[in-house]
This record gives sequence, C-alpha cells and structure tokens, in this order.
Amino acid sequence: MIQLRNIQKSFGNQPVLKGIDLTVKKGEVVSILGPSGSGKTTLLRCINFLERPTEGEVMIDDITVSSQKGSKKEILTLRKKTAMVFQQYNLFRHKTVIENVMEGLIVVQKNSKETARKLAMEVLEKVGLTEKANAYPVQLSGGQQQRVGIARALALNPEVILLDEPTSALDPELVGEVLEVIKRIAEEGITMIIVTHEVSFAKDVSDYIVFMDQGEIVEEGTPTVIFNNPKEERTKRFFKRINREAGILESNLSSVI
Amino acid sequence: MDITLIFDFFPKLISYLHITLLILVAAVAIGLVIGVVIALIRIYKVPVLNRLAFIYISFMRGTPILIQLFLIYFGLPALLTLVHIDASRANPLLFVAITYGLSCGASFAEIIRGAINGVEKGQAEAAYSIGMNEKQMMVRVILPQALVIAFPNFANSVIGSLKDTSLAFTIGVMDMVGRGNTLIATSLHALEIYLTLSMIYYGVVICLEKGFSLSEKKLQRFEGSLSAEK
Ligand SMILES: Nc1ncnc2c1ncn2[C@@H]1O[C@H](COP(=O)(O)OP(=O)(O)OP(=O)(O)O)[C@@H](O)[C@H]1O
Ligand SMILES: [Mg+2]
Repeated sequence: MIQLRNIQKSFGNQPVLKGIDLTVKKGEVVSILGPSGSGKTTLLRCINFLERPTEGEVMIDDITVSSQKGSKKEILTLRKKTAMVFQQYNLFRHKTVIENVMEGLIVVQKNSKETARKLAMEVLEKVGLTEKANAYPVQLSGGQQQRVGIARALALNPEVILLDEPTSALDPELVGEVLEVIKRIAEEGITMIIVTHEVSFAKDVSDYIVFMDQGEIVEEGTPTVIFNNPKEERTKRFFKRINREAGILESNLSSVI
Repeated sequence: MDITLIFDFFPKLISYLHITLLILVAAVAIGLVIGVVIALIRIYKVPVLNRLAFIYISFMRGTPILIQLFLIYFGLPALLTLVHIDASRANPLLFVAITYGLSCGASFAEIIRGAINGVEKGQAEAAYSIGMNEKQMMVRVILPQALVIAFPNFANSVIGSLKDTSLAFTIGVMDMVGRGNTLIATSLHALEIYLTLSMIYYGVVICLEKGFSLSEKKLQRFEGSLSAEK
C-alpha cells in the first residue's frame, strides 16, 4: 500500500503542492488528471523523492520517509520500491535495449548477469520488443523507446510504477501501442500511478481517478463517479474543455477528410 | 641544402619516436586520472579542493608549458630536498611526464567537466528512479556518456600535447628533437633535420587523427551515427 500524507512542495516561495493526501492500494491503478501546471508531475516526483517534498511523508509498505528527516539511505530504500516511466523516456543512451532493462536488475538488485538477462528477456517479451533487444535507443521509434522504458520499470518488480504522461511526447499514431502495453500490465495487477491527458484511456484502465488543480486534489473517486457525476465546478469545467478540444480535433479531422 | 640527406636523417630520428610516444602516453594517462578527479571535485563543488582545482587549472592555462617544464624540473627536486629526498639525478623523462601529465590534467578536467554537464539531466533521474545511488549513477550512467561527448575535444588536446612534447629536449630528454639537435651540432644541416622532424610529427598527427576519428565513430554508435539498422 502507498500512502501520501500532507505532501507539500514549494519552489522558492511559490507553493506548487498544497497538502496532498492519497492512498493507493496494492494492485490499484490510479490516474491523475488536471490542467497544465497543476502540480501532477511534481507530485509524482515527490513520491520517489526525485523532488524532496517541503512537508509531509511518503509511505510505501513498511517504510515511511518524511520530507525533512528522510535520510539518503531511506530515500534509496524508497526508490528501490518504485520505478518511473518518463515523458521523454530517458533510456540510458549508451546501453542497448536489453542492457537498459538489465541495468537495475544487476546494479541495484544484485542479480547475476544470466538471471538478469533471462528476466529482461521475459519483460521484453511482454512489451513486444524481443527482436530489438540489441538495438540502441536512438535506433527505435518513440513508441518503442517508451515500451523499453516501461520494461525497465516493470523488470524491477516494484511496489508501484509511476508514469508521467507516458504518451504525450509521442506521435499520435504511436500512442496506441504504448497505451495497450500499459493496459496489459495494469490487468496483471501491477500498482500504477499514471499522470495522463488521455481521458478515455484513464477511464478505461483506472480503478481510481484523482483530479488536481492548483496544487490540490479537487476531487477523487472511481471513474464512473468522476466522469459521469463530477461534483466540483472545476472538474466539470476541465472535462468540458477537454471534450470541446476533442470535438474541435474531430471536426478538424473530418474537414480534412 | 641537400634534400637527399632527409633519407639519412629519417631513420636516425624516427628511432627516437618511441620516447616521444612514451611521454605522450604517460602524460595522457596521468592527465586522465587528474582530469576525472578534478572534474568531479569541481562538479560537486568540494569545499577548499574546488578552490585549489580552480587555481590549478587557471595557472596551467595561463603559463607557457616551457616555463612549467622548468618549474617542475628545478622546483620539484628543490621541494623534495626539504623532505630529504635527492631527486637531482632522476631521469629527466620523469619531470617531463609529470609536467605534461599536469598540463593534460588541467585541460582534460575542463573538457570532462563540460561533458558531464552536457549529459542530459533525465539520465541521472532515470538512474535514481531505478534505485541507483549517487556513485553508481555517476560511474555507470553519466561518465560513460560524458567520455563520449568529451572525445573530440579530448582528441584535439592529445594532439596538442604530442606537439608540446617537442620541448622536452630543453631539460635534456633525448627524444626525436633532442637527437635532432645533436645531429645538427655534428652535421650542420639544421634545415634538413627540421624538415625531417616536421615530416615525422606530421605523419604521427595524421595517424592519430585517423585513429581518433575511427574510435569516435565506434564510441558513438549509440548516437546513431553508425546505425545501419535505423
Ligand atoms: N524545478 C522547478 N522549479 C521551479 N518551479 C517549478 C519546478 N518544477 C515545476 N515548477 C512549477 O510548478 C508548477 C507545477 O508544475 P508541474 O510540472 O508539476 O505541473 P503539471 O501538472 O505536471 O503540468 P503539465 O500538465 O504541464 O505537465 C508549475 O507552475 C511549474 O512552473
Ligand atoms: Mg507534467
């Protein structure tokens, strides 16, 4: 189980997160939605302490790390329980696909090379990239790179995978393959926290939706409740805008066709 | 001038090429160690050491290598006598290696520092996100990429050092130039000898450049420059 308690974060004197509380149960998929600049990325980065919160604590299983007192060692333990998928993939450029996946297995989890290779191959199988095992990241399409990013995270068998807009750097025609992979691993019961702008995907894959605005959780609940019966004005407005943009996109498309 | 003399001098001089290369290899090896250490000191802004590193780099940059050579040649034994070590009979090659090593170290440090800063920030974050500690991140993710980024500047610097070694004779090292000078004294054919020397240096530099550009391509295969599959 993952629990965030009163997570606050300021950059300088600008508050970006104003006290976030969130509980994610094992095997749950939680999607975080919200307008640009609402603090979604920052929240995700606070969970693995890529960004140290100004206030609050992060609890994963048996370990609790507090914003101020959290030592390097505790942070390292916390990070070993998490993995992250980045918007810009951030694959290790000097390593092949399989080496990217093996790296954490060997260096962090101290597996032997053979074990790591075997595990990595299994995970690459899941994301459908076994035949690219020896390619370098630059030789892959964005969609393929992101699938490697997912494989690298998945291989570590973490308590939770944090995904920050995994498809928003992709060309539209490559979004599908990545979403499909995420959906597949969601069905395997991997705990995930996903920041995304893909509303219909979030509706489809999530057990729980969190809507953020201006550093706060405005509304949270099951997809049915949040998408069909949002209570808060800000949530309603957000979905209205999203729908309008989607509509505009569609009408543009149809006028092109 | 007698151009055919070049054929005479060529074998005599090139038989001392290994001394030149030895100096270069020693200097680059010492320089790499110093360079990485100093670059890390500067990146992590280690108190006191960072200040010293800055002074060291700026001093090496701001003084001619010939003067540095003499400073080490006369200064090091003087320092060592303070701790009762007699270095006055030490092989001058040693002083040359130290001087050029220090000089390479200063330029490598700046090249490596720039290259480390040039590695994408996301690479470190990815390393941390899979649970690496700072050292693993640096050694396994950042440095390998930084060395590739640094390589072209590094190659230039090495070629510069090779040419600088031609000053080693001034403290009595018998390298190609040292040998050339003794030949000049006995044969009085200075121009032919310098012509021969220039040909040898030029040849070596061309070979180095070729070698570097091949290794660069190999190193950067992951940058896509050689990717046939793309
Ligand atoms: N390192 C930083 N230094 C200063 N301000 C920052 C930093 N990182 C984020 N911010 C600010 O914090 C706020 C929230 O940023 P964040 O990236 O978390 O938003 P987001 O919800 O992920 O937005 P988007 O949907 O555009 O990705 C923004 O106003 C941003 O300018
Ligand atoms: Mg963001």
